Amino acid sequence: MLEIQGLSAFYGRAQALFDVSLRAEKGEIIAVIGANGAGKSTLFDSVLGLTKTTGAVRLEGQDLTGQGSSEIVRRGVGYAPERFNLFPYMTVRDNLLVGAYTARGDIETNLEMVHALFPRLAERAGQETSTQSGGERQMVSLGRALMGSPRLLLVDEPTIGLAPKVCDEIAVVLRRLRDEFGLTVVIAEQNANFALSLASRVYVLESGRITAEGTAESLAKDEALAAAYFGH
Amino acid sequence: MNLRWYHFAAWGALIAAMLLMPRLVDLGLMGRGTLRTMIQACYLAMFAISWDVLSGRTGYISFGHPFLIGIGAYGTAILSKKFGVPVELSIPLAVLITMIGGLVVLLPALRIKGSYFALVTLAFMELMYQLVQVIRPDLTGGTRGLSGIKTLTRGAENGYMLAVSLMLAVALGCWLLMRTRFGTALWALGQNEEAVSGSGLSTIRLKAMAFLVSAFVAGLAGAFLVHYNGSLAPRAMFDINSVFTIIVAALIGGAGTILGPVLGAFFLTFLLEWLRPFLPGAERFLVYGAVALVLYMYQPKGIYAIIEGGLKRLWGRA
Repeated sequence: MLEIQGLSAFYGRAQALFDVSLRAEKGEIIAVIGANGAGKSTLFDSVLGLTKTTGAVRLEGQDLTGQGSSEIVRRGVGYAPERFNLFPYMTVRDNLLVGAYTARGDIETNLEMVHALFPRLAERAGQETSTQSGGERQMVSLGRALMGSPRLLLVDEPTIGLAPKVCDEIAVVLRRLRDEFGLTVVIAEQNANFALSLASRVYVLESGRITAEGTAESLAKDEALAAAYFGH
Repeated sequence: MNLRWYHFAAWGALIAAMLLMPRLVDLGLMGRGTLRTMIQACYLAMFAISWDVLSGRTGYISFGHPFLIGIGAYGTAILSKKFGVPVELSIPLAVLITMIGGLVVLLPALRIKGSYFALVTLAFMELMYQLVQVIRPDLTGGTRGLSGIKTLTRGAENGYMLAVSLMLAVALGCWLLMRTRFGTALWALGQNEEAVSGSGLSTIRLKAMAFLVSAFVAGLAGAFLVHYNGSLAPRAMFDINSVFTIIVAALIGGAGTILGPVLGAFFLTFLLEWLRPFLPGAERFLVYGAVALVLYMYQPKGIYAIIEGGLKRLWGRA
């Protein structure tokens, strides 16, 4: 489904990713964990063509490198950035609709699906997102990414600053997306426990390099994971 | 698009009221001079709408709108006066030149953000000011500008009807456009550009479209204004004061609302006119600055939001 090979990313002359390779199969949740500044967001930005990169990114065998980000989204990549990246002075409904420009099917159907996944968003459709709680904003961010009918969903730090109970709700939705809709999901997380509880496979990103990878069970016992998570 | 009955009612009332203004003059309720002031307000309103479509929505603050207005004004003036092109043709041509010329020059500037964009647009206005004076002064009239340009209307009432019809058409057109998905995307662009591209939209294409709409309106209003005044002077056209008047009209009226800039333009124009007898000099601008500041502090979303809030309160009671 998603295959990244030898990806390096650059901000001007500074290199943020070094030869990163990973893959996600169809209908799988994988996680990339790492501390602040490890390159998790850069990795997602690179998949979306928002950074300067070398290496290959393939979606269902098709090369995405060199395509504009609008084309990449059109091909089925949904991006739920950290929840600070909403449109604060627009209503929940308008925020969701901005995500629907590349929708493959009926926009109303997608809206119903998002409302079914997050009933709270249906109740708060007319509310400005600047007045919402962190958890609700996270739901809007995920919902907006889903409005474009993606096949691959990139989720950047869905639990950051959220109460454990809200994290559980998010986890339930991500599992439903995999099980009911067959979506492939890639999560970037600092919250290693959350990532391990959801993902079948986990990659550890440290200073722009993949330092460990494996199944959730094998990494749960691994000391490299603890090392990466605490970032030394 | 989501249009409601009260939208139709409000636009109908506005259009009717504006078109009936000359009748007030007939009835002796209003002077002819007031009508002339309203003509100025209509053109300022169009400039402010043009600014608002680009800057009020997307947050790319243009300090160089007279650059676009100037292309439109000079375009039609030169074509009609120096080359004998009929006005019916020279105005559309001037608008086209504004859109193409503006796009070629300013589109690269849309790749830079924040205050840098503002500075580049300001530089373009200054550049244009210098260029029209030195390059082919036989065409541009150099520092003196051009006069004796064909006027389209005679008398205050005709001038008013033309200006107000144009203004209402521009306002209604832009208002409808901003209620489409395109308008929503522009609004989103102003709040978080990365998230817009993350949603699969080409931000460059959006900005270019917003810019084209803005240039269309600026060129159109600039061209018609020059055929109303019958003359144009580079010093007045590319004046930093005119930039501020446009921006202030849009901001205190209510940026991002289309109708707000119209309200702001009328408010500012009449404020300056009413102050004239008491403060004939530059002190007027001090008062106008103070009024703008107080209004802005009271409601940063502008006059439009004040009226909207008032109406909602009335509605709630009724």
